[in-house]
Amino acid sequence: MKQESKQQEKPEWLKVTYSQKKVDQMNTLLSGLNLNTVCAEANCPNLGECFGSGTAAFMILGPNCTRACRFCDVPHGHPRPVDLAEPLHVAQAAKRLGLSHIVVTSVDRDDLPDLGADQFVQTIKALRQITPETTIEVLTPDFQGKTEQLDKIIAAEPDVFNHNMETVRSITPKVRHRATYATSLRVLQYVKEHASTKTFVKTGIMLGLGEKDAEVYQLMDDLRDINIDFLTIGQYVQPSAKHYQLREWVPLERYQKYYHEAKIRGFKFIASSPLVRSSYKAKEELLAVYGK
Amino acid sequence: MIKEIHMPQLSAKSSQYFFGNWSKEPGEQVKRGDILFEVETDKVVSQVESQEDGILKEQKVKTGETVTVNDLVATIEVSEN
Repeated sequence: MKQESKQQEKPEWLKVTYSQKKVDQMNTLLSGLNLNTVCAEANCPNLGECFGSGTAAFMILGPNCTRACRFCDVPHGHPRPVDLAEPLHVAQAAKRLGLSHIVVTSVDRDDLPDLGADQFVQTIKALRQITPETTIEVLTPDFQGKTEQLDKIIAAEPDVFNHNMETVRSITPKVRHRATYATSLRVLQYVKEHASTKTFVKTGIMLGLGEKDAEVYQLMDDLRDINIDFLTIGQYVQPSAKHYQLREWVPLERYQKYYHEAKIRGFKFIASSPLVRSSYKAKEELLAVYGK
Repeated sequence: MIKEIHMPQLSAKSSQYFFGNWSKEPGEQVKRGDILFEVETDKVVSQVESQEDGILKEQKVKTGETVTVNDLVATIEVSEN
């Protein structure tokens, strides 16, 4: 696919190193397992660094999403049949890579009766069996807010339950598809209220979509009202000219300001800088709260 | 021995990129892991590392040009041993 136009001049921090050798090594390790990583599917800027350090975030339930959010680079398209071997393959990949922490996410599967929840559960079970020392973080869809699906995930006891708010309330309808601010907040609240105390609850937002300070603080307050533990804040990078238009490369000072505002509000861990993604260096959060 | 350096696939979604700045000039020593050039994809500016030790012989692409995956980008003279 040809790039249609050169977008806004990219800031210096968006310069990343790329080692073909390290990426090849990761691809070799994953070959034969028929797995998708959100790193590759979403063209993550951190791919080179994460693959280089032997880590990846796995995206289950196929490469095609049933929703078409305007910020997201994961393809919207006809969903594929569920691969029943996938949970085992994710666990085998985690074992091969020697991951101490794994992030498992998925595309939205509004087409499935269980909305994809069972595949998360099977993946958690396979990981517990094959690599029991690995801590598990799930980054899930909203499951349309259906508590019977959330109950399944809660019962599987991931170490971290992550569901992204993505942005402030006013911008949500402009960038998310079939997802609402209220539903996402309700999902996080439900999991926080019903999950074991061993499961931390996490969310993340992007900056640069046109949000205002007061809206970001309101979002933080909404999250702390329901006792959310972890918050990640990173820069939106427009995937292509067809996606939601980038409003701003947010200056570093604002990330620092938001970090302090989040700290004051009592989040247990905050990651706030341009290249932060929900799964980027996720294990450091757990290490921080476990005091390791 | 002359080794050809071809454009790597930097993004799963696209095969054409904007070529950025060269970090090495012809005649300069290049070590494995040194940044050789920059390429701009939709989301990032990737600094591509050399996989070879040697002397950069030729730059085959200029800053600002569009490059396609597998295009010849440079040649490096590597020592026989």
